Amino acid sequence: MDKRISPLSRIFLIIMFALLYLPIFYLIFYSFNSGGNMYDFENFTFDWYKELFQDTRLLIIVLNTIVIALLSALISTIIGVLGAIMIYKIRSSRTKYTLLSLNNILIVSPDVIIGASFLILFTIAGIQLGFYSVLLSHIAFSIPIVVLMVLPKLSEMSPSLLDAARDLGASRWEVITKVVIPYITPGIFAGFFMALTYSLDDFAVTFFVTGNGFTTLSVEIYSLARQGISLSINALSAIIFLVTMLIVVIYYFITRRGKRSPDLEVLK
Amino acid sequence: MKQLIRLAVVIVAVSAILLVTISRLNASQGYSGGNTLTVYNWGDYIDPEVIDDFEKETGITVVYETFDSNEAMMTKIQQGGTSYDVAVPSEYTIEKMKEEDLLLPIDHSKIPNLKNIDPRFMDLTFDPGNEYSVPYFWGTVGIVYNTKQIEGIDFNSWEDLWDPALKNKIVLIDGAREIMGMGLNSLHYSLNDTDPEHLQEAYDKLVSLKPNVRALLGDENKLLMASGEVSIGITWSGDASEIMAENEDLDYVVPEEGSNLWFDNMVIPKTAKNIDAAHEFINFMLDPKIAAQNTEYVSYSTPNKEALQYMPEEMVNDERFYPPTELTDRLEVYENLGKENLAKYNELFLKFKME
Repeated sequence: MDKRISPLSRIFLIIMFALLYLPIFYLIFYSFNSGGNMYDFENFTFDWYKELFQDTRLLIIVLNTIVIALLSALISTIIGVLGAIMIYKIRSSRTKYTLLSLNNILIVSPDVIIGASFLILFTIAGIQLGFYSVLLSHIAFSIPIVVLMVLPKLSEMSPSLLDAARDLGASRWEVITKVVIPYITPGIFAGFFMALTYSLDDFAVTFFVTGNGFTTLSVEIYSLARQGISLSINALSAIIFLVTMLIVVIYYFITRRGKRSPDLEVLK
Repeated sequence: MKQLIRLAVVIVAVSAILLVTISRLNASQGYSGGNTLTVYNWGDYIDPEVIDDFEKETGITVVYETFDSNEAMMTKIQQGGTSYDVAVPSEYTIEKMKEEDLLLPIDHSKIPNLKNIDPRFMDLTFDPGNEYSVPYFWGTVGIVYNTKQIEGIDFNSWEDLWDPALKNKIVLIDGAREIMGMGLNSLHYSLNDTDPEHLQEAYDKLVSLKPNVRALLGDENKLLMASGEVSIGITWSGDASEIMAENEDLDYVVPEEGSNLWFDNMVIPKTAKNIDAAHEFINFMLDPKIAAQNTEYVSYSTPNKEALQYMPEEMVNDERFYPPTELTDRLEVYENLGKENLAKYNELFLKFKME
């Protein structure tokens, strides 16, 4: 593998990774600074981490963010997968493309507009802003992403696979649960994780729909800007980064183990 | 398929556990009680201990939410859907909110501590008689400069900024009113001047400053100034005191021609549900000891005269942040210029930025 990468592209790769990771490490480095700012490293300290864990309000906000991300990703994945299968099944190419374009419009429309629209919708409908308004809007903007992640997998699937299943006497339900879903599982995972990250870091939409004591991390950090952001936010970022790293590593090993298992090889 | 279902169940279970944890944490903070007060304030603009004290003393639980700009806050309140009991907008936003009928009048009989506020900060043009607002913090717009890097200039006048020696050294705040105001002030005009000729003059004057201007920035200039990267900045006194605490070489000056006097004020929005608690909270914040404690934490200037005696002397005697009456008399509060004039300000400012 190594031999195929030319030195030039290797240098490019290194620079790209440095560009992506240096700011994060810079941030983490200063989370251990006793000086209280981001340019003058004084002494090594764990004070910011201590402060972080004593700040119950911030912890509640972090947990809110995680719950919203998990639930909205799960629900939008379920709806998105069903939607993708529907679109895939539509025969008329005109309807299909119309639906797909409508789906894409939701992805490219600016977050601010989506957020403002949700705010207007919720106030007209009389829904109190808070947990449910945030959850609903996150589900809504994640669904188009899931659809887009799952559809390519569906169109990759050979139609003869479905015919074969039916010939062997599979019912419609069995075709979906035993053939289609296992085949598109990688797409489902991709959609789920995309939805998860979108929900975790979305600011623009969330800003409009938070309220009544419910807020998420992105909104909270943004509103700290006027007074300067405390280094305990650096500490928090460091922890979140480590946890994400850990999850990615675990995921990597799980998928590697999965690839070696013989039955999946057969399926491929 | 089974694997996917198993995963979904795990996610639901984890979420359920987290939700229970959140409600436990909320309960431990007392957020779930019936008698709650929702405060909508700038991020990190109150001492958390003050909130704790208020909760302990009154039994009212405080839900504290934050915003980052007047405009964002106003949109939220305008749209409804939330029930903020106390909000803290700046003066020009209060005028707008009054026009849009978003505020409830304040019952002065419920706020005996109002007497602690320095009379010069009461009854101002944006809210005559303080019918809707109570001062929270105040400050000025001025020049922060690095005494080590800039020698021989003391910036007593806006004019000093035009010194050719300062080429590419100044960072301005990205605000139309602030920068146009600086241009007008340097010509000895009022900050609220709407005469098109005067505005044009101010614009021309600003354009001639361009060689000295390095950038127009928002909150980033605080970091750049504190780290010594930039030697001169035009900014609000609140920001200035904050970065001066971090970098001893910095000094702050309000030029003698005059400048802007700004206020952040507590108001009760129309959406308020717990109006009694809102009054109680405002009164509590005006208590001299509480105001002193809060001021030490936030480090902006307090309008509370009685609080000064509870604060460290070096803070109160700092004329840069508690300027004498002679200076504050020369300062002006932004008036609502109306849509058309504001558009003129914005247009000229945009042209200046593009120059």
